[in-house]
Amino acid sequence: MNRNPAKAAATAAVLALAGAAMSGCSAAAEPEGPVQLTFWHGYTEADGDVLQKIVDDFNASQDEVQIKTEVKTWAVIDDTLLPALSADEGPDIVAMPGERMPVYADRGAFADLGDWYGSDDGGTSALNEQAVDMVTVDGAPYGVPTGFVPLSVFYNKTLFAAAGITDAPTTWDEWLDAAKKLTVDADGDGTPEQYGLALPDHDTVANGLWPSLFYGAGGDLVEDAKTAVVDSEENREALDYWVSAIRDDKISPTGLDGIGADELFSSGKAAMHVGGPWMASIAKDNGIDYGIAALPAGPADQAASAIGVAMGVTAQADDAKVEGAEAFFSYFLGKDVATEWSLGSGWPPLRTDIAADAVSDNPTVVALTDIAPTSRALLPGVVNSVDVLDAIDDLTQRAVAGEDIDGLLSTAQDAVQSALK
Amino acid sequence: MPRTTRPRYRPAAPLGGRTPVGSTRRTSMIALAFLSPALVILTVFVAWPMLSALRLSFTDASGFGREEYVGLENYVRVFTDPDVLQAMGNTAYYAILFTPAAIVIALVLALLVNHPLLPWRGAFRTALFVPFVVSLAVAAFAWSYLLDPQIGLLNHWLRGAGIQLGNVLQDPVLAMPAVALVAVWKSFGFYLVIFIAGLQEIPGSLYEAARVDGASAWQRFRHITLPMLSNTLAFVMIVALIAALQAFDQIYVMTGGGPYGTTQTVVMEIYTSGFKKLELGFASALSYVLLLITLVLSLIQFRFFGRREKDAQ
Amino acid sequence: MTAVANRGRMPSPHRRGRARASSILLLIVALVATAVVLLPIAVIVFTAFKPVGEVNAYPPTLLPENWTLDNLIAIFRELPFARLILNSFVFAGGVTAFALVFDSLAAYALARLDFRGSRVLLIAIIASLMIPFQATLVPIYQLVSDLGWVNSYAGLIAPRAADAFGIFFLRQFFLSLPRDLDNAARLDGASEWRIFTSVVIPNAKPALLTLAIFTFVNNWNDLLWPLVFTTDAEMGTITSGLTLLTGPGGIIPQGVMMAGSLIAVLPLVIMFLLVQRRFIESVASTGLK
Repeated sequence: MNRNPAKAAATAAVLALAGAAMSGCSAAAEPEGPVQLTFWHGYTEADGDVLQKIVDDFNASQDEVQIKTEVKTWAVIDDTLLPALSADEGPDIVAMPGERMPVYADRGAFADLGDWYGSDDGGTSALNEQAVDMVTVDGAPYGVPTGFVPLSVFYNKTLFAAAGITDAPTTWDEWLDAAKKLTVDADGDGTPEQYGLALPDHDTVANGLWPSLFYGAGGDLVEDAKTAVVDSEENREALDYWVSAIRDDKISPTGLDGIGADELFSSGKAAMHVGGPWMASIAKDNGIDYGIAALPAGPADQAASAIGVAMGVTAQADDAKVEGAEAFFSYFLGKDVATEWSLGSGWPPLRTDIAADAVSDNPTVVALTDIAPTSRALLPGVVNSVDVLDAIDDLTQRAVAGEDIDGLLSTAQDAVQSALK
Repeated sequence: MPRTTRPRYRPAAPLGGRTPVGSTRRTSMIALAFLSPALVILTVFVAWPMLSALRLSFTDASGFGREEYVGLENYVRVFTDPDVLQAMGNTAYYAILFTPAAIVIALVLALLVNHPLLPWRGAFRTALFVPFVVSLAVAAFAWSYLLDPQIGLLNHWLRGAGIQLGNVLQDPVLAMPAVALVAVWKSFGFYLVIFIAGLQEIPGSLYEAARVDGASAWQRFRHITLPMLSNTLAFVMIVALIAALQAFDQIYVMTGGGPYGTTQTVVMEIYTSGFKKLELGFASALSYVLLLITLVLSLIQFRFFGRREKDAQ
Repeated sequence: MTAVANRGRMPSPHRRGRARASSILLLIVALVATAVVLLPIAVIVFTAFKPVGEVNAYPPTLLPENWTLDNLIAIFRELPFARLILNSFVFAGGVTAFALVFDSLAAYALARLDFRGSRVLLIAIIASLMIPFQATLVPIYQLVSDLGWVNSYAGLIAPRAADAFGIFFLRQFFLSLPRDLDNAARLDGASEWRIFTSVVIPNAKPALLTLAIFTFVNNWNDLLWPLVFTTDAEMGTITSGLTLLTGPGGIIPQGVMMAGSLIAVLPLVIMFLLVQRRFIESVASTGLK
């Protein structure tokens, strides 16, 4: 019973060769047929169904390209894409949240779509400029937006009525005022039973809450993807304003994160919440009579950070496959399909030339479409967004916890700048 | 049966050990035969990837696409990057919280659940083992839910008793103990079962003899139980230490490394740099530094334990 | 155990009273410990049956007010449930079966056979436990892909068919088994294989069962491994399949997640209950003198 390890190793080697030979064989022997593409995306439930229909329609409409989708959650795609790409087992087309694109593009995971953007017959030129910024790294576009929507305010109409508020606030002062009126501490124990506005101080929805507040005061995080501009008078103003609202006026609990804020609103414990389009169905499921409004204007500007999703062609796709993918992208951005996708996904249309009445079937979409012009891509073109967002989270979380804002801004400025090198 | 003051069965030293069979070529061939299936698997699927990772640690690879040799740059960064240093400190703190707690709790409960006077031992053993069977991510969700500052049951009940827990998972002081607690809760069941298996190997006659000699419960524990468990203990100590130094799952779910990076562990850092920032080369370097530290700590732990074991006899 | 410890002793009334008091004390301690330990489990179980509105309700309650099966139904409806459970069994069971065999063979060599390099080999095997899997995931994946085993049972099982943990664990256990029996057998001229199968393995049942439980549970619950090595939804396990249940916004509703965890855990608990009884029986029957 002497098993020879050398023999075992040889067997493994033979198996490996056989495996490689077989895969090589099938590729060479494949007859001229349609180009086959795999497409990974994270659209599940209703969105997923609509996207699947669009893909099926595309497949049916021509013979050259056939796309097969694989649905996984966004988080799973992020975790499994790297190993898959490392072994050339990845998808040909993959969709991912916008802020993940730059790091993959920088490492060479995506094909440069510059030529296609330049030549496309009107599809890409109608795209929201900020949406295109989201997929651009160092001047080259690496993807196509599939979703781009600004954060918006969801408010609880029942609670509004109870507090005697009739209109959604449109400026920061009105917003703060309403939030204070909606914060109720009936038993006077210092902890409100009902909060006016759920303001998370870290891990906010799409990391976009505090950037939106900074924009409102005229500030920003990063310029041209190269320079940190965190330490500014404008950002200081925004922090002062809202930190004291949280700490002194208690309009929101401290230490909240984005998901916690979602839960506070959907359980009716917070009257207002800054969130994404999915809050519409969550609110409905929880029996909340909700309204949607744009983020109120700050002293300098009215802007909201955008939640974005985009798809790109991976570098493992050969020329034929890249062409096939581009054909699909053109189809996807066509006016009719874009309208269909907007209505089905509940997100505003990607093309600016689709008017609100074309999507009037879905009132959420109409509301969001009206707000869309105020949206701004978050950290466009920034490769190391992970460290930048960590630094911003530290800044806001510590500020809300009561630490000195000047010191925090200076620390955050250094951290962000070193993340941008 | 002759009375002895020493246990008749002396277990071999925990990590060494010679048998009466002399070392011969024939023995080596037989050993190879026994080892080969495992060795093939381990060589192909463990050793080779480890060597790949070692090679990657000297590059700036992201796992796909272009890569360049960068020499010791990644290793230098491991020891100079403030985030990594913070993660190392955090991991050390976590290990100090987790390892003794898990081992002691498991041992004490093993003695409890093995005690002849306790009724329904089987039921208790099963109940105490259940946390192990749940996946760590799910356990982390359940605990996060219990500790939620707004809707958590624990916060609610303790508030009724006058204790304000506050936001435990976002408290720079309480967050680390909390995530360590979750790991202890989840893992002790396995160590418990190992200790029980070890305890049941100890012949009752030894305790009989000691009792007749007038030894107290503590003396019986110290001079019979502990030495007879030495192999088991050595195993659990090393395995618990390794688990502690590689803490990741529940931290990822419960705090994401926060607040302010106070619960960021080395493996969280490895995951972030490898999978989020696509710096696989750096992640590999950090992994190897972790391996070396773990190896050194384990050797120290085993040497310390080995010396105590000799004292006990 | 009770028999072993108390053999040949007649309990006096005094002793019986003391024993009674000790029993009660032990019982109280055990109950408290169990209650503390099982609280999060209770949360999982009860949240699985709570409707969406109650999960985030304030004040929070342990038990649902309106028990609902919606969460469970959602899982059965949306996932290829039977297939996923089957895959879980094949994966976890396959790994466990191979690992038990290969690990015990290797552990025997390390525990009972003296050969050059045994110490070094042991340390190397233990050392391999010290590298986090995030570092080796990509190289392993490339290997499995080169073998053409992505999306197959082979790819899921083979890399784990032997594991350092199991070898280390069994080695320690084999070391603590008394050598008298196998030395006697050796003197009688029995081969190592004979000793392994007739002497060591039968006496190692508790350890083998423990390792089996550990290996099975860990692989059953493993999330990332099946996610990475299978892209086909039909080839996933129950734990990886559950991640597909995200609601709007990419978040899995808590009620559904807890229900999913219940389903994933149930086979394990049942198996442990069955095995647990045999565990006690096998130990009682090893008849150590």
